Amino acid sequence: MTQAAIPDAAIRVRNVSHHFGEEGDARHVRALLDTSLDVARGELQCLIGPSGCGKSTLLNVMGGLFEPTTGTVTVGDKPVRGPMPHDIAFIFQESALFPWNTIYENVMLGMMFQGVPKSEREDRARRALEAVGLDEFAAHYPSQLSGGMRQRAALARALSLETQILLMDEPFGALDEQTRMVLGEDLSVLLSRSKKTIVFVTHSLGEAVFLADRVAVFSARPGTIKEVIAVDEPHPRKPEFMTSAKFHRLRDQLYGLLHDEIRKSMLQSAKPKRAYEDQATKGEA
Amino acid sequence: MSSPRRKFNDRFASRLVQVGFLAAVLLLWYLATTRWGVNKLLLPNPLNVWDQLADVIAKGEYLNDLRITLTELAIAFLISTVSGTLLGYSISRSPYLIKVFEPLFAGIYSIPIILFLPLYVLFFGLGPASKIALGTTISFFPVVLNTIAGFGNVDPMLVKAAKSMGASDYQLFRYVLVPAAFPVILSGLRMGFTVALLSIIGSETIASLGGLGHRIVNLAENMDMARMFAYIVFAIAIAAFLNTVVSVLEARGKRQR
Amino acid sequence: MSAAAPAGAGIRLQRYMWRHPGVARLGVVLMLFVVWEIAARWFVDPMFLSPPSKVLFAFDDVLATRGVPAALRVTFFELAVAFAIAVVIGLVVGLAVGLSKFGNRSFMPIVLLLYGMPQITILPIFILYFGIGPASKIAFGVTHGMFPIIMAVAAGVQNIKPILMVGARSMGASKWHVLRYVIYPHMIPSFFAGMRLGMTGVLLGVLLAELYVSIAGIGYFTSVFTQNFDPTKLLGLVAMLAAMAIVLNEIVRRTEVRFARWRD
Repeated sequence: MTQAAIPDAAIRVRNVSHHFGEEGDARHVRALLDTSLDVARGELQCLIGPSGCGKSTLLNVMGGLFEPTTGTVTVGDKPVRGPMPHDIAFIFQESALFPWNTIYENVMLGMMFQGVPKSEREDRARRALEAVGLDEFAAHYPSQLSGGMRQRAALARALSLETQILLMDEPFGALDEQTRMVLGEDLSVLLSRSKKTIVFVTHSLGEAVFLADRVAVFSARPGTIKEVIAVDEPHPRKPEFMTSAKFHRLRDQLYGLLHDEIRKSMLQSAKPKRAYEDQATKGEA
Repeated sequence: MSSPRRKFNDRFASRLVQVGFLAAVLLLWYLATTRWGVNKLLLPNPLNVWDQLADVIAKGEYLNDLRITLTELAIAFLISTVSGTLLGYSISRSPYLIKVFEPLFAGIYSIPIILFLPLYVLFFGLGPASKIALGTTISFFPVVLNTIAGFGNVDPMLVKAAKSMGASDYQLFRYVLVPAAFPVILSGLRMGFTVALLSIIGSETIASLGGLGHRIVNLAENMDMARMFAYIVFAIAIAAFLNTVVSVLEARGKRQR
Repeated sequence: MSAAAPAGAGIRLQRYMWRHPGVARLGVVLMLFVVWEIAARWFVDPMFLSPPSKVLFAFDDVLATRGVPAALRVTFFELAVAFAIAVVIGLVVGLAVGLSKFGNRSFMPIVLLLYGMPQITILPIFILYFGIGPASKIAFGVTHGMFPIIMAVAAGVQNIKPILMVGARSMGASKWHVLRYVIYPHMIPSFFAGMRLGMTGVLLGVLLAELYVSIAGIGYFTSVFTQNFDPTKLLGLVAMLAAMAIVLNEIVRRTEVRFARWRD
C-alpha cells in the first residue's frame, strides 16, 4: 500500500520485498512484501506491528545493514547500498555497547570508526554524554550501569556521530515501564532541539502515539504497511498528552488496526529469526 | 549469592584441609619407613628424600634436565599457540568452515595422541625434537578449538553496531573481535600449556635421553629410590609453579569484564 | 557443449558440499591421506615413513608377528577393567562427597589437590610397585580415569535445585525415595558426561603405562618396531590402537546418548 509520496523525504523506501533463505528451504521466511514508505525530514516516525512482521528487517534495510531481495531505499538522493555511517546512526534493543570498554571509550570508538578526526573526538564525546546526562559515568563500564543508563549511553554514542538520521530498533524494549516513560520524554525533548529524522520500531502502542509524528502500521508476516496514522502534536511532548482524549483516540485507532494482525501472527507456525541474527549466520560476522 | 566473607572462609577451609592432608600423608610416610618396616627399596625414608632433594638443588644437578624440559615446553607451546590461533581465526571467519573443521579437530583430539609418540621417536629420534613434536601436536587442539569458539561466538550485534558506524575490517578485528574473543582464547592457551607440560614430561619418561622425566626413569632403573623421589617432588613443584603462574595470568587477562 | 558437462557437474558437487559439511569433512580427511601417501612414496625416506596403502596391507603382517594379538588383547582387557573400576570408585566417592556437606568440605579439596597433580611423574613408581604386568597398567588407568567421574558425580548431585527436593518431601517422600527418584535421575546426565571424560583418562593412563614398559606388552612392540626402523608395522600397530580407542570412546558416547536424554 503506498501512501502519498513526500517531496524532499529524508528516506524513501520503494517496493521493498525481502525473504530469508531459499525457496523450498526449511528456513525460508518472507519477511517483507512490497513495502513502500517515506520518512520526512525532521519527523519521528514509528514502525509498529505484530511480532515477526518485518519491521526490524525494514529498519535494517533502511540503514543499509543488508540489501533487500527487491526494491530500493534512498537517503536524500543517494541510493542505500551499505552502511552509511555519516548519515545514519543505529540504536539497538540490547545496547550493543562493547562490554570491555567504558562508555566514554565506547563513544570515542564509534567516532573513530566513522572517521572523525582525533582532535574533535574528545569534545564531541563530552557533549554527547552531557546531552544524555551521563557525563558523571563516563569512566564506568556498561555492566556497572542500569539498563536505562546503557541505552542512554548507546544514544550518546549515536549522537556523537552527528548524523541526520537515527534508526532505533525497540531501544526501550528491555526496560521497565517507568524508565521507558522517562526516556521517551527525554527523546521527545531531544528531537525538538535537534531536528533529526528518527525512525523508531516499537511494540508499544502508547509509546508509538506518545513519540511519533506518524505511525506506520504493519500487517502480519509477510509484512507490508497497512496504514500510516498521523499524530498532530508538537514536540516536546508533555506528560499531560498521555492522559488527553486525543491520545486515547489515536491509541484505540492503532489497536483496532493491529488487533487482527496480532491474532494472525500468533497463528503463524515458526517464529522467524530476528533480522540481524539471520544475517550473522549467513557469514557476515 | 554467598558474601565475599563466606567465600574467603570456604577457600581458607579448603586450603586448611589440603595442608592437613599433606601433613598426614607425610606423617604416615615417615612412620611407614621408620616404625612399620616398609622395605627401603620400595619406599625411601622421607628424611632421606629431603636430603637428596637438598643435595640436588645445592649441586645444581637439576639444571640441565630442567633446561631441556623447559626448552621443549617453550618451543612446543610457541608453535602450537601461533599455528592454533592463526588457523583458528581463519576458520572462524566462515560458519561453513567451522562446521567442517571443528568436529574434525574435536574428533582427533578425542583419541589419545600419546599414541603418536613412537611415530615421532622413529622419525625424529630420541632427542628433544620428538618431545617437541608431541607437545606441539597435543597442545595445538585446545588452542585451535578455543580460538574458533572465541571468534566464532562474538555477539553479532556488536559486529553489526561497529559496521553501522563505519568500522573498517581492521578496526572491526582490533576493537571488536579480539577483545570479545580474548577470554575464551586465553582459556585455550592455558589448557594448551598444561597439556603440553604433561605430555612433554610423559614423553620424556617413555622415550628420551634427557629432561626431568628421563631423569626420574633413570634413577628408577638404578633403584636409587630416595633420589628418584626427590626428583619427583621437584618435578611436581615445578609443574605446580608453572600452572599457578599460567592460571594467574589467565585470571589477570580476563579481569576486564 | 561437451565442455560444459564437467563444469556443470563441478558446480553441482560444490553445491552438494555446501549443503553437507560432513561430506566436505570427509573430503578433507581423504585429502590428508592422499598427501600422506604422496609424501611417503616420493619425498620421505622409507625408513621413517610408510604410505597408508602399504600400512593397510601390512595389517596381516602386524597381527602375524608373534605376541602382537596377545598384547592387543591384554591392552583391551586392561582398558575395560580399569574403566569398570574407575566408574565404581568414581560413583562411590562422588556420591559420598556430593551428598554430604561434611564430605564436600573435607574431601573435595583433597580430590582437587590430587586431580591437579601431574601423575605422569609417578609412573615409574607404579611399575616398580605393581610390576610390568596388567596390574600396574590397570592401576595407572584407574587413577587417571576416576577423577573426572568423581567430579562429575559430585557436581551432578550438588546442583539439584532445592525446590525439587522440597517438592518431593512435601509429597511425603522418604529419604530413600528422594535418593532414588530425585537425586539419581538428576545425576545421570552428569554421570555419563563424567564417564566420557573418564574413558579418555583411562585410555591415557593405560596407554602411557603400556608404552613405558618396553620389555612387555604393546610397549615392547612399539620399541622393537622403532628400533628396527619399521614404520609400516609401527603405523599399523598405532592404527589398531587408535581404532581401539575410537571404538571404546564411541561405546561410551552412544551409551550416554541413549541413557541421558532428558537434560537438553
